[in-house]
Amino acid sequence: MGYTELQVTTNFSFLRGASHPEELVERAVQLGYTALAVTDRNSFAGIVRAHVAAKKQGIRLIPACRLDLLDGPSLLAYPTDRDAYGRLSTLLTVGNLRAEKGECYLYKKDVYEHSDGMKFIAIPPNKLTASFMLEASYVQHIREYRQALGNQFYLGATRLYRGDDAKMLFRLHQLCAQLDIPMVALGDVYYHVPERRELQDILTCIREKCTIHTAGFKLHSNAERYLKPKDEVERLFRQYPDAIYHTEEIAEACRFSLDSLQYVYPEELTSEGRTPQEELVRLTWKGARKQFKEEMPEAIRKTIIEELDFIQRKNYASYFLTVYDYVRFARERGILCQGRGSAANSIVCYCLGITSVDPSKVRLLFARFMSDARDEPPDIDVDFEHERREEVIQYIYEKYGRHRAAIVATVTQVRSKGAIRDVAKAMGLSLDAVGRLSGVISSHWDDHIDVEILAEQGFNLNDPHLRKVLELTCQYMGFPRQLGQHTGGFVITQGNLHELCPIINARMEDRTNLEWNKDDLEALGFLKVDVLALGMLTCIRKAFDLAKAHYNHDFTLANIEQDDPKVYEMVSHADTLGVFQIESRAQMSMLPRLRPKNFYDLVIEVAIVRPGPIQGDMVHPYLRRRNGEEEIDYPSEEIKTILKRTLGVPLFQEQAMEIAIVAAGFTPAEADELRRSMATFKAKGEVSRFHKKMVEGMTGKGYSEDFANRVFRQLEGFGSYGFPESHAASFALLVYVSCYLKCYYPDIFAVALLNSQPMGFYQPAQIVIDARKHGVTVLPVDVNHSQWDNTLEGETGKLHALRLGFRQVKGVGEEDAAALVCSRGSGYTTITSLVDADVSLSAMERLADADAFRSLKLDRRQALWEVSALQDRPMALFEGQLSESAKEGQTELPLMTQGEHVVQDYASTALSIKAHPVSFLREKLNLLYVVPTERLSIMKSDMLVKVCGMITVRQRPGTAKGVLFVTIEDETGFANLVVWGKVYEKYRKEVLQSRLLMVTGKLQIEGEVIHVIVQQCVNLNGWLRTLSAPEADDTTKVFHKGRNFQ
Amino acid sequence: MKRRFASIWFRHLITDWLTIRRPELSNKPFVVAAPLHGRMVISAANAIAEAQGINRGMVVADAKAFLPDLEVIDERPKLAEKLLKAIGRWCIRFTPIVAVDNPEGLLLDISGCTHLWGGEREYLKDIVNRLRSRGYDTRMAIADTVGTAWAVAHYGKATPIIASSCQLDALLKLPPIALRLEIDIVERLHKLGLKTVGSFAAIPRSVLRRRFGEGLLLRLGQACGWEEEFIQPLKPIVPYEERLPCLEPIRTDKGIEIALQRLLEALCKRLSGEGKGLREAALKCHRVDGKMVQIDIGTSRATANVTHIFKLFALRISQIEPALGIELFVLEAPKVEDADPVQEALWSNRTGLENMEVAELLDRLKSRDASCSIYRYLPDQHYWPERSVSVASSITEKPTIDWQADRPRPTRLLASPEPITVTAPIPDYPPLLFRYKGEVHIIKKADGPERIEREWWIDKGEHRDYYYVEDDKGQRYWLYRSGHYDDDQSSQWFLHGFFA
Repeated sequence: MGYTELQVTTNFSFLRGASHPEELVERAVQLGYTALAVTDRNSFAGIVRAHVAAKKQGIRLIPACRLDLLDGPSLLAYPTDRDAYGRLSTLLTVGNLRAEKGECYLYKKDVYEHSDGMKFIAIPPNKLTASFMLEASYVQHIREYRQALGNQFYLGATRLYRGDDAKMLFRLHQLCAQLDIPMVALGDVYYHVPERRELQDILTCIREKCTIHTAGFKLHSNAERYLKPKDEVERLFRQYPDAIYHTEEIAEACRFSLDSLQYVYPEELTSEGRTPQEELVRLTWKGARKQFKEEMPEAIRKTIIEELDFIQRKNYASYFLTVYDYVRFARERGILCQGRGSAANSIVCYCLGITSVDPSKVRLLFARFMSDARDEPPDIDVDFEHERREEVIQYIYEKYGRHRAAIVATVTQVRSKGAIRDVAKAMGLSLDAVGRLSGVISSHWDDHIDVEILAEQGFNLNDPHLRKVLELTCQYMGFPRQLGQHTGGFVITQGNLHELCPIINARMEDRTNLEWNKDDLEALGFLKVDVLALGMLTCIRKAFDLAKAHYNHDFTLANIEQDDPKVYEMVSHADTLGVFQIESRAQMSMLPRLRPKNFYDLVIEVAIVRPGPIQGDMVHPYLRRRNGEEEIDYPSEEIKTILKRTLGVPLFQEQAMEIAIVAAGFTPAEADELRRSMATFKAKGEVSRFHKKMVEGMTGKGYSEDFANRVFRQLEGFGSYGFPESHAASFALLVYVSCYLKCYYPDIFAVALLNSQPMGFYQPAQIVIDARKHGVTVLPVDVNHSQWDNTLEGETGKLHALRLGFRQVKGVGEEDAAALVCSRGSGYTTITSLVDADVSLSAMERLADADAFRSLKLDRRQALWEVSALQDRPMALFEGQLSESAKEGQTELPLMTQGEHVVQDYASTALSIKAHPVSFLREKLNLLYVVPTERLSIMKSDMLVKVCGMITVRQRPGTAKGVLFVTIEDETGFANLVVWGKVYEKYRKEVLQSRLLMVTGKLQIEGEVIHVIVQQCVNLNGWLRTLSAPEADDTTKVFHKGRNFQ
Repeated sequence: MKRRFASIWFRHLITDWLTIRRPELSNKPFVVAAPLHGRMVISAANAIAEAQGINRGMVVADAKAFLPDLEVIDERPKLAEKLLKAIGRWCIRFTPIVAVDNPEGLLLDISGCTHLWGGEREYLKDIVNRLRSRGYDTRMAIADTVGTAWAVAHYGKATPIIASSCQLDALLKLPPIALRLEIDIVERLHKLGLKTVGSFAAIPRSVLRRRFGEGLLLRLGQACGWEEEFIQPLKPIVPYEERLPCLEPIRTDKGIEIALQRLLEALCKRLSGEGKGLREAALKCHRVDGKMVQIDIGTSRATANVTHIFKLFALRISQIEPALGIELFVLEAPKVEDADPVQEALWSNRTGLENMEVAELLDRLKSRDASCSIYRYLPDQHYWPERSVSVASSITEKPTIDWQADRPRPTRLLASPEPITVTAPIPDYPPLLFRYKGEVHIIKKADGPERIEREWWIDKGEHRDYYYVEDDKGQRYWLYRSGHYDDDQSSQWFLHGFFA
């Protein structure tokens, strides 16, 4: 006779279960169980993980669930077959959709309606009455369950050492005999080993928002809710052997396995009765004819045939059609999109219009990413304009219906910071101590807690209470905390989705999502498609629209002229402010060294400034080889085929994985597992195992240990920020397109960029300065000329002039702007006419602040004076009469200095086209021998210089230990500062607080790359204050404090 | 008489107070912060932190970025108001009319007070010096109006004492914010370049009203004295204290009794008038020789019953040594609680703990013999039996939870469990017999085990398996085994209580 544990709560019953599903399964295997049920509360969220773990360990997982009902004792439900599983999932969906996110409202009636093919166990009550009887209401419920559910129904019994166990079992047994219900033994497992009780207590405290000292009876009195050995359970139930027997009976009856869930593609992807493959073939050739016109090269034709053949073999046609469908929709609506991912750079995708990367530019053979051996689903992420992605999402919902399409979940895990905060609070530490503790734990140290730093912060590490806090925090880290919504992953099915997986309400209105995340779906072989948002696409589309309107060019991502040397010339000079991807400080300083000359160089540029190659120390070898300073050699012939295109240096994720396969003898599946284990933290053991295997494998084949280590380090870097070549190629296209626009149409580019804010690294002020540097005339916001958006006006010279729009003005809403523009007619001549146009007074005041009344011959101060008097304008009956203010005499207002105007411009629009604030200080700066930034390039390297400017960006990349990169801006240009760790420690305050910063440092000139290595910093915020009148408040606040990037 | 006002501004009220209480803070930067929209925002910073550029309104995380060793203290709600009230009461020694000026100041109506100090300058100096020596960074100004005093205290750069009728002159150079204006009006004035009071004071009132509303004119008028402004004075608190000076020194017990009786009657009258009752009282007897002797009593519930309190004191009167005689009796009630007088009338009908006689008996027992300890226990939320009860603080305290009825607990629980020897089958069956104090008990009936685990956050050790057993004589016991049976050593058994 055997025992099967049928009541197991994992940590996917959030803040209840204290063990991961994997831990429970592993323990079950150690104890000799052959099957295990997982019964989370009203949820299937953990069962896929448990299933995968069980499959790996060779035992059977019984997918099940605990139904907490609003009108009766809780029931455990076990589906016996596929249909019953579908019903259970539907039941949960019904409960979920009734409730807010995270809740599930179920009633007995719902259970009866969906009960076919399921086994049920009622949870025993917590206690007996004072006279040792079962509560009458409980008995009544059980009687009703028995009637409604018949012989599918069992009564559960537990032995939790509560003191009255024997009495309780006796009563339950009596009830069973009376109603003819079989009794089942349950373990009521919350954790895999008794030691986890402490964490479970803490979870209870977090859930109940109390501390361990005040929790009292909310906790369990003992540690008996662990997974017990089978013979121990049999001993505990020795008087009721039937109860043990019935566990086996249920386990045997429930043969349903998650493996039998079949994913079926939707049918409506094909037309005229074609099979998906036929449809795909038809569409591909149709697209091919359009893309390549008549002159399709033979090689392309051959590749298309190969790819289609491959797709047929893997049966992926429906997947491509699914993606094609919504991409087609987006194109029809004029929504810009671009695919990326392993399958996206196939010629098939190019023909279908999913990607615009010309396959002849990058020979990304898609079989290279998708071998027959590796049975992984294809991956196409499609980026859409961020402002219009919602349209695509709603299209998908509408086309397939909410019962067939849903967004994938993400499981939010507890990270170190949150974990220590929760645990420390539950352990009763003071808020102050909790804050200090979590402050010490930076998000960077996600896998361990740095004990030394705690000691430095004055924590006594010998204090057992604190040690316990740390110990429990380590256990708690990595726990699932809640289900979130994936950024854009969709699952679309032919049948009802809710029969596959319960659907829950998302926080966002009009959204529903699944309980499973992408790993769960992948494990079950469900295919998901990604509908993502990308700000740059919005910007590019706006630019295309402007090009059409003002230059009559019909640009698309595909028809922009390729390989234009002028564009590459611009890129090589790092003149890339605002363009996609290569605008960051690190990218900019790489560009003059790399000097990209063709599309593939851009692909490399995108991929090279990433944690992977930087941590793997691949960047400098590549640069040296490219510049001919180092010989290009390959450790072996096989490596040469992998690394030839990157001069023998592995830069892409795919290359590192291929090396693992070719040179270290990994199987493709192992290589993939390796990559994954890097991505999910808490798998340290795994990683070191792989490390050993990799280094041993490679040295065994005659590679140097150094090379092996570097490849491995690079893989580690990829783990968290995976950047494969296929993604880089898709991004590179957007890089090229944005550079092309910036190069030829700086006016259009600046407008589009400003209208797509917030986006990227730079502020409107810098975008405007950059545009003016490129010859664009920038005109101020004006009530008689501006629109809501920034716009282009008539040509001035070669380019159009940029007219700043009302969106730049703080506090002016789109409605007010619309009212203003709508009634503008031939122009406003008086302030009151704006009020007649229904522009709100507060908006008028903001417009006055922005100095937007110049065309009415009023400066901002006069305008504000007039506007503020509008409050008592004669209304209604008295309308049309003269206002009081007409009678008042002239009031002399103090004149504003140019400096004051600039300060006000910044306060209102975050930029000024009148002058740069630093220009007013130049005379004073000259006295201090401060050099304008434009003169740095004509100076000599190693000179000691002083520069001063407004901070625009501070960046502290995780890859550069302790170094801070600061960019400052003066009226002549930019200077790039490097602040080393020690200097930063000394001048931390100046660097972080200044808006205007003056530094002394050593000049470092390397070709076009100029850095100032900072030695000394001075905060000159006080000088900014002098720009406006001395009595003023802290005017420095109007200036942007600079953006901080990690 | 011309009215004169003083405004006191505590520039670092909260942080000064914290520094006074925790001197170790005095030379390092620290801030007080409270959560706002999910972020910790600084609500006060001490002078050192301010010098480093940390201001209120800043997010703690930002401040910590450039000052990592910045100490952050959680804000206590309403603290500033409480402090101001306390300091305000202390200020009553300077003038009877003191008002709290939230959030960080006081207003004093000093009309006719300053001559006692020898003039306004000395008066001001005395207050500021005293407050500064206590640790408060203080600025103070005196003028004819509240508004001007406030403005000069906060923003004045020249003299803090504004001569009578010179308000406007003093204000002209100050920024508009010194007029206590709303922030958006201040901003608008600033944008218009009207950066001092003087820059707009001459503009016609109608023009100002149209643009800045009535508020600006009101504040300007108040500061200049054209408009009346009222302040709401603090009421001083009177302690529960009665004094009885004697014409002749009292030397006899009888005399003391009479004095006590009188004092009690006066005090209890006041107490019941305010719906209060005392929990503690002290009789202080000041003797002719300059010494003071004192007797204290405590009650189990708040009471204003003269007879009862008198009885409690009466038991102690013999302890008073009058020596050459007592010239002053002071009766104080340091601990006073709300008491419902209606309830008092009904007490006699109540039973158990509600019965006043029980409470009074307890008081008398306690007051007769200080070492006599009578405790009342209430259930506490702990599974661990030793911690499952706690001592009640008063006779009327209600238990916060019910006594647990679903788990059997003995009527008498031993303070420390006593070891016993048992014969018991393994692994977790109840014993067949046990030996306690030399006597063997054969167990007839048993239930259990109830496993109670240590409260791991308090102590470490073995769990206990409790059994509820009945011996052949029908007596029932609560036994436990400490820990599991191990292979090498037999487990220890204990007796922990007796059932009725």
